[in-house]
Amino acid sequence: MSPSTEAPEKNEAELCYHCGEQVPAGVKLAIDIGGEARPMCCPGCRAVAGLISSSGLGNFYQQRTAFNERPQQQDSTTLEQYLIYNDPELAASFTTIDEDGLHNASLLLAGITCAACTWLIEQSMSRLPGVERALVNLQQSRLDIRFDPARLPLSEIFVRVENLGYRPRPFQTSTARLQMAEEYRTELRRLAVAGLGMMQVGMFAIALHAGDIQGIEAGYQGLLRWVSLLVASFIVFYSARPFFSTAWRHLKVGTLVMDLPVALAIGLAWLASTWATVSGSGQVYFDSVVMFTFFLLLGRFLEHRVRQRHTLTWFDAESTLPGAVTTKCDALWVTVPRIQLQGGETVLVKAGATVPVDAQIVAGSSAVKEDTFNGEHLPRAVTTGDTIYAGTVNVEAALQAKVLGSYRESRLAALQHSVELAQTKKPQLAKLADRIASWFVAGILLVTTLTAVVWSQLAPEQALWITLSVLVISCPCALALATPAALTSAASALRAHGVIVRGENALDSLSRATHLLFDKTGTLTEGSLAIADVRPLGDVGTQDILAIGAALQHYSSHPIARAFAGITGTTGFKDVNYRVGAGLEAHQNGGTYRMGSAQFCRQLAPDLPTAPDKLLYWVALCREGSPLAWIGLNDHTRGEAGDVITSAQQAGLQVELLSGDSSAQGPLLARSLGISTVNHGLTPQQKMAHVQQLQTKGAVVAMVGDGLNDAPVLSLADASFAVTGATDLARTQADFVIVGGDLHAVIDTWRKARQCRRIIGQNFTWALGYNICAIPLAAMGFIPPWAAAIGMSLSSLLVVANSLRLNR
Amino acid sequence: MDSLYLLIPIALLFCAIAVKLLLWAINSGQYDDLDKEAWRILADDEPAQPAPPETGRSPQQEGKEP
Repeated sequence: MSPSTEAPEKNEAELCYHCGEQVPAGVKLAIDIGGEARPMCCPGCRAVAGLISSSGLGNFYQQRTAFNERPQQQDSTTLEQYLIYNDPELAASFTTIDEDGLHNASLLLAGITCAACTWLIEQSMSRLPGVERALVNLQQSRLDIRFDPARLPLSEIFVRVENLGYRPRPFQTSTARLQMAEEYRTELRRLAVAGLGMMQVGMFAIALHAGDIQGIEAGYQGLLRWVSLLVASFIVFYSARPFFSTAWRHLKVGTLVMDLPVALAIGLAWLASTWATVSGSGQVYFDSVVMFTFFLLLGRFLEHRVRQRHTLTWFDAESTLPGAVTTKCDALWVTVPRIQLQGGETVLVKAGATVPVDAQIVAGSSAVKEDTFNGEHLPRAVTTGDTIYAGTVNVEAALQAKVLGSYRESRLAALQHSVELAQTKKPQLAKLADRIASWFVAGILLVTTLTAVVWSQLAPEQALWITLSVLVISCPCALALATPAALTSAASALRAHGVIVRGENALDSLSRATHLLFDKTGTLTEGSLAIADVRPLGDVGTQDILAIGAALQHYSSHPIARAFAGITGTTGFKDVNYRVGAGLEAHQNGGTYRMGSAQFCRQLAPDLPTAPDKLLYWVALCREGSPLAWIGLNDHTRGEAGDVITSAQQAGLQVELLSGDSSAQGPLLARSLGISTVNHGLTPQQKMAHVQQLQTKGAVVAMVGDGLNDAPVLSLADASFAVTGATDLARTQADFVIVGGDLHAVIDTWRKARQCRRIIGQNFTWALGYNICAIPLAAMGFIPPWAAAIGMSLSSLLVVANSLRLNR
Repeated sequence: MDSLYLLIPIALLFCAIAVKLLLWAINSGQYDDLDKEAWRILADDEPAQPAPPETGRSPQQEGKEP
């Protein structure tokens, strides 16, 4: 099977070929890739796709298994900001220098969605002159590049990566990261040694078992036993060491863990076999010992790998801030790294840029989009003396502002902190395996001791191997694999359907969800304004009104302007200028036009009536002396929202709407979608209180929201979804991130979670049932240790195979 | 059957060499990224260059010529 899936081909007519988002009506940006015209949703995607295709890497689109992220609009400032990395002092924190003068830099890349991305980046980077080697680590989203700084400046590498549609930043190695990488390698080494050793010992074991049946000369039997002892000892002392140390560590503080019977089984079997080998009598169980060790290590390794992947995609609000800022130094503007900013310095925030620090405006006026904090899509007008916050976007005009403090003191850092705090408050549903572990272990030890005591009375020479069989067969290996195997499998299946699973344990919570809470703006709605209503006030027709509006808005970067993007504007407007917090003014054929707030337009046309109602966001349009129209804007409801809510209700979930918006739109929208419980006008604290109140009543809450402003309440919910336009992944803190913004994924994920729960249930039933049936048989002496080891392995394999069904 | 006394140590030697090689590969980072390597084998090493439409020969034609 080829690695490509149908995803990129689906609905080709309306979806952007690069990022998979819907192409807005009227946008004609198709580009030729692989001999066909491919639709593009925005100039950003077009630029990236054009670059990929013109470098002959168009194959990428056939190879990838997930859509790309939508790249941000680039301008000279985004590229300029990377110039600071040419400073050797700054670069030293993530670059090492070889003895032959080549530099090795590590960059962390945001936006890698599938393995094909690594191919694309590696191929296109290694073609740059001066690059000796480029390697992308998919697990860590890290690019390691070896280059000659004389031929290629570091900033050029950053720019090139950015041009491909990924967002690079320096990869800072931390102690925790290094430690995790080292642990991973250690585990892999142990597993590798155990695997190779298992094959050897297994080979000798077959000869020994055949010898038991057919008869074997004592000399050969001795030889085979001695070499088995040699290999098995190596495995016991090297590979199986963690079982002994964990069991001992916990025993010292008086707790029973799964590792205790494991360590006992391995230790006893090895001791008994060694004794048998040395004394030349009795049975050897080396094959059971190594098989047992290998399968346990394998299960553990797989589980750790999944856990590690999630720690690395850790939410980091700071990383979304610009790395370089422009600051005033002796009346000159210089670019410096953001982290070097001191309180009291003056920074320049250009239009369209993200505010790098909390700061107070000293010159200029503009509007800032603060959706990070309040979810609102309309910006707040700010002027001299106002405070702007790190992480918000300056929409209109350049601002000069005095830095108030470092990132740690900023409002964004406080928000991040509250997210972390909310997580600790979340009711922890104890994992089934942990809950039963200590009882199970105590039970095993009891049964084993009983078996040993009883058999030493009945038949002392049989006691040892029967005890070993009980220990091996009762090994909780399948039990320990039951949950992680199913969760991993479900997560990778969801990933293929555009849902990134951040917290796998949330799958368990989601499957038990009783309430499904939706946020309004950006979740049930598209999150951007669209024209909903036009009320002409004069003799000018609707078409002309829209054309005039589009012509004016063409000059604005305000979110309102996007609503007019698809409309062809009237030509001939001159001297368009923007009044911050008021609107636009322009001239055509000597006449003055204004568009914006009622107050601003009344200065020109005093008889403008008041806005029709409060349900829409109204913008006035007028000509000198005569009002032309009220244009009503609205946040579009997502097309699939009704469908999703109906199927959630049919599935027995309580659907509620939680909205921060206090207008009448919330209840109206809820009624149209069939939601009966509506809470609107809530502050984030009230939202959190509401969720907690539901939880204390015993409800398991799943919540769907968007972006960072919902993050605290999302992390409080038992399971959370974030709907994102795929550009803001780093800012999204939720258990499930829906890339591409199709709400159907909520229900699909819920179904998958239910299925996953069923599979886990089956796994547990099997693992426990097997143990309960097999332990008495082993205790009665019907099962030899080698059969016990095979039975244990088969039981684990069955659990893994059952879990893999989720992957379909 | 006496050859076993020679053959088994040789087998163990080979096994030791295999372990040594595997440990070297792990230590040099070749197993650090299992997700990518699993996929990489399926990808083309050299991306297809966009062939100039008039003058270029298609790869198949080139293959057939002696």
